[in-house]
Amino acid sequence: MKNILKTKELGIGAILLLVCIIITLINPVFLTADNLADVLKANAVLGILAVGMTLIIITGGIDVSVAAVTSAVAVAIGHLMLYLPDHPVSLVVVFAAAVFAGTLLGMINGFFIVKFSIPPIVVTLGTLSIISGALLFITNGNYMSGANFPEVFTAFSKYEIFGISILIYILLFFSLITWGILKYTVIGRSIYAFGGNSVSAVRVGISMKKVQYFIYGYMGFLAGIAAVTQTAYIRAVDPNGLLGFELTVIAAVVIGGASILGGNGSIAGTLLGTLLLGVMQNGLILARVDSYWQNLVTGTVIILAVSYDHLQKKRIDAQTAQIEVK
Amino acid sequence: MKTKGMAFVVSLLLVLLLAACSTDSASEGGSSDGENVNETGELTIAVVPKLVGIPYFNASEAGAIKAGEELGVNVIYTGPTEADASQQVSVIEDLISRGVDVIAVAPNDSDSLTPVLERAREEGILVMDWDTPADPNVVDLSVNQIDDFEFGEAMIDKLVASMGTEAGEIALLTGGLSAANLNTWLDAVEEVVADKYPDLTIIQERIATNERQQEAYQITLDLLRANPELKGILAVSTPAPLGAAQAVQERDLQDSVSVVGSALPTDSGPFLEDGSLDAAILWNPEHLGYLTVYLAKELAAGNMPQNGDVIAGEIGPISVDGKKVIMGPPTNFVADNYQDYDF
Repeated sequence: MKNILKTKELGIGAILLLVCIIITLINPVFLTADNLADVLKANAVLGILAVGMTLIIITGGIDVSVAAVTSAVAVAIGHLMLYLPDHPVSLVVVFAAAVFAGTLLGMINGFFIVKFSIPPIVVTLGTLSIISGALLFITNGNYMSGANFPEVFTAFSKYEIFGISILIYILLFFSLITWGILKYTVIGRSIYAFGGNSVSAVRVGISMKKVQYFIYGYMGFLAGIAAVTQTAYIRAVDPNGLLGFELTVIAAVVIGGASILGGNGSIAGTLLGTLLLGVMQNGLILARVDSYWQNLVTGTVIILAVSYDHLQKKRIDAQTAQIEVK
Repeated sequence: MKTKGMAFVVSLLLVLLLAACSTDSASEGGSSDGENVNETGELTIAVVPKLVGIPYFNASEAGAIKAGEELGVNVIYTGPTEADASQQVSVIEDLISRGVDVIAVAPNDSDSLTPVLERAREEGILVMDWDTPADPNVVDLSVNQIDDFEFGEAMIDKLVASMGTEAGEIALLTGGLSAANLNTWLDAVEEVVADKYPDLTIIQERIATNERQQEAYQITLDLLRANPELKGILAVSTPAPLGAAQAVQERDLQDSVSVVGSALPTDSGPFLEDGSLDAAILWNPEHLGYLTVYLAKELAAGNMPQNGDVIAGEIGPISVDGKKVIMGPPTNFVADNYQDYDF
């Protein structure tokens, strides 16, 4: 059992390693600590959102409103910061407000999904349209420059521990928490059970409502965290900056081995999926690949990675089946 | 089970398609002001930008609306919420059914608009392009902000002047690889580099940033990492120079890497101040919006513009070559003058 768990992410990990080796051979700059830190920092937002999305996809659901929720929270805290004094407490206020607003928006998704049993994709598409429409109306798409943010926020965004940006620690921290939830808590095991077979899950006494409220609320919570991370990363608020980003988030989760039909998926896999996307973007520039070819290369690597991953899984499944027969 | 999975995937795709449509229709509610345009008897001019809700097109909207008020014509300023060709087609289809008199469009992709613009002409609607040229065969008038070659040359000259050397590596950032006007400027830049500055090396051809500041920022960080010898960045599309400048600022490379690009003065301010952006070169987008509506009205009255016309006392003198109108030379926005502009 332990071996299987270990090999589950092997396929995607192997491809990632291969890509890293090839890029390093072309341009050794890739394998410098600074560059790897760049990759992680640039993909912290993607990672945080993808981790939350993993829980939803494991249950067979989907949330296409994540990018819009993140943008909405970013705009909200951007405006909030114009009124906050330059004091460490302001940071706490920003985080609290972001998490509150995000969770609230996530709970609204959860409410419609649970209360009216509307398929998640329909509900979240609706909230996606509403939120992005409202955002465009309110902001008119104008950037907010970070020049007016409190000094303490700028300092926070540049803060490093052992030379590694705070944003990377945020990603690692919430990945670890989410991994813990999935592995060691009742709700975490319920998420897997629910995605594996919702009818049996209900029969053994798992509350469908509770699980769904939790995952969509938690997604909103992480979107709030992602909004702070995003604002810290670009030190500005761009209401259009994440338009269409939900597809990248879902891609990271699916590349990481989660099944869009539910029941399958892991935090480690999702992080590897996120890394693969991030490494590709960084690596193609480092390898000086012409823009015209970049999308083609990215697409090819993704298909290779996912095919290899699925082959690997099939082999493992075949082996386990054999053992059971014997 | 397999068919069920298939059905799910198909419905997923359908729903995503629906999402694409719904965002597009959401945008059209914004600036419509005349449901039954034919009954008013007034001239109705539709101005379609590449997308709504970015500062550049907000500024041109302000100019177009102002012209509408001053010249006594109806102006509908509407467009997609993303720089997407198919969404723009459906916006134009809606405008055709609403029976406007003139459609002026800034195409996201000129080829994909040709069929719908042909249909507009069959319906007796005058078709113009502005900001970015459409297929010349389907337009009655083409409003260009600038002479493309002159603009490209102005940008690369300014970049070389900021770098203080005519040798070294430079990178070209663009909003998108299929945007016709951006490509024309970069063609000009490449031509000037080949003729005038043979010692400059352009790395990696053109680098796309999807019209997003954040993407330009991220890509420039990677570029600076991969090319420690990089001396200059020339960025076209309005968000790209800001993202590039931000990356230069982040790495404290203001003194060794020059950035020049087409950006709006107010957005550029913070970057011009500390030298991370050396110069923003652009025309006045408000004037462009105004000029478009003015020429549309004249066109509907059967008047073609004349070489050397000055519009509203401050736009131009324009130059006219057949159907092609050029607004005038570009303006340099630098640390000393950006505060004089309010767009």
